[in-house]
Amino acid sequence: MPASLRIGWTVAALLALPLPAAAQSRTATISVVIAATARLSVSPAGISFPDSDPTGVPLVAALPGPVGITVKARAAHGATLRLTLRATDDLRSGVTTIPAGTLTWTAAGDGFASGTLTVADQTIGTWVGSGVRTGTQSFLFQNSWSHPVGTYTLSMQYTLSSP
Amino acid sequence: MKKAVWSAVATAAGMLLLSTSVYAQTTATVAVNVNVNARAKLTITGGPVNFTDADPDVTATLTSNALNIQVQVRTAAAGNSSLTLAATGDLDNGGALIPIGDLDWAVTGPGYTAGTASTTAQNVGTWSGPGARTGTQTFTLPNSWDYVVGTYTTTLNYTLAVP
Repeated sequence: MPASLRIGWTVAALLALPLPAAAQSRTATISVVIAATARLSVSPAGISFPDSDPTGVPLVAALPGPVGITVKARAAHGATLRLTLRATDDLRSGVTTIPAGTLTWTAAGDGFASGTLTVADQTIGTWVGSGVRTGTQSFLFQNSWSHPVGTYTLSMQYTLSSP
Repeated sequence: MKKAVWSAVATAAGMLLLSTSVYAQTTATVAVNVNVNARAKLTITGGPVNFTDADPDVTATLTSNALNIQVQVRTAAAGNSSLTLAATGDLDNGGALIPIGDLDWAVTGPGYTAGTASTTAQNVGTWSGPGARTGTQTFTLPNSWDYVVGTYTTTLNYTLAVP
């Protein structure tokens, strides 16, 4: 949704008054309202890690590729924007789980940070002030012979906030 | 003129209020899918198995070099895997035989089992759940004055079974 920009014009005393030219007075008040707003875009909506030989592929790269992130924000002067990421749960296949910490990412883009997924919020980016920031996250899954067979899922929740 | 002043004050107050307001947190969700399929890998190094000839009065039992065995399996959390060994025949020098049942083995490593060779499958190890298991297997053969001179060979077939 485009940023709300409202321009109000109040023009007072524009009615022509029968005053002498040298004594005429005009006042114009311009009001520009820029509301605090933010938009977070993350794509794609899902990533997957294909089965791989743990010996040959100890770290499995996500498909279809890096997750692209776009943060657009209008914030107060000097305000800090924070983007966090958390897993809603460990990787789960029925009652069998693999720790969410087996997923790590390498970040690219100004202000974006690399890290390890957990069920607690991890800061993946901080910025000061308004602007548009873009970055990517390249996820890796730590492969192991110890992982039980299964199809595991979890959700990653991104939260953009400003104090 | 008074109206214009109040308008300016109201506008400034409005801008201050909006610029310091906290916008609601913005979130996005990405689904993660990890596929872990059943796999099995058996690696045996250190072969072939050799026995060095020795005086039967001095060395009653011949001991071979050790084989290094690595079993890597991906099963369900409680899935079983087993490693068995079967000889293709007795130790044979082209005429004379040493019964395969004379060939014993000792092991090291969790889940590995000592045993005696046979032309039928003999258990070498059993495990529950996924993982990588390493061990060693060392063969022994009774040394006897009754053996006919010669070089005896046989083949041992290992089978790693994962349900």
